Amino acid sequence: MSTRIDIHEDRLNAIFHALSNPTRRGLLARLCEANLTIGELAAPLEMSLPAVSKHVRVLEAAGLLRREVDGRVHRCSFDAEPLESAAEWIARYRAFWTDTLAALADHVEQP
Amino acid sequence: MSQPLVVSRTIRATPQRLFDAWTDPRQLVRWWGPAHVECVEAEVDLREGGRYRLENRVAGGGHVTISGEFIRVRPPDELVYTWSTDDGASPLEQVTVRFVPAEAGMTVVEVQHARIADVEVREQHAVGWEGCFDGLSELVEHTPHRLV
Repeated sequence: MSTRIDIHEDRLNAIFHALSNPTRRGLLARLCEANLTIGELAAPLEMSLPAVSKHVRVLEAAGLLRREVDGRVHRCSFDAEPLESAAEWIARYRAFWTDTLAALADHVEQP
Repeated sequence: MSQPLVVSRTIRATPQRLFDAWTDPRQLVRWWGPAHVECVEAEVDLREGGRYRLENRVAGGGHVTISGEFIRVRPPDELVYTWSTDDGASPLEQVTVRFVPAEAGMTVVEVQHARIADVEVREQHAVGWEGCFDGLSELVEHTPHRLV
């Protein structure tokens, strides 16, 4: 049985970096609703296309966004799979610390 | 990076008692870890810049070493240290433990566990990871797994 946390370090780092920015989180939330082109992603934001493209590249590097290129149109879609890894990390450590604090309580509260 | 994970528990003991339990190797080998993990050896150099190492046996066979360096040592209030489950080659995680006195001889023990992805992210203030994941996780089905 593996004793290590099964985490791919670079991948998780990319995910956390991607999600650390509120603009990127907003882009991702909209992509949850619909596949959008970069132009459509940029339209409601007061941000240039290159700036949005940069955010899209960070999301893409994290595996959270997939891009389909059709001529000059880049259509983006959301990929949930990397979030499962990050959410799994959080869930594992939440369980770990909950159980560890329970053990601490038993240790100090027993006479 | 801000704290994606905060777990706390109110325990009937003083902050000093709990701080000692957390940092005394003789006590760590008696209580540390979840039920299926047993700490068999603990070394603690309790000072800022000092290192710690916990050797753990996992039920069913297997071994995991947790190690790191103390960043802040403020008895009995707070401990901040890095955390790595490999041989400590590059610590990417940081744990903050606070022992906050509550009423009637109780203490709230609060653990914050963060991943330090890069310097830019580390310097950002409260990002609210759990809220972020809660929102997006409505779209994702996942099952919590045990650590080991």
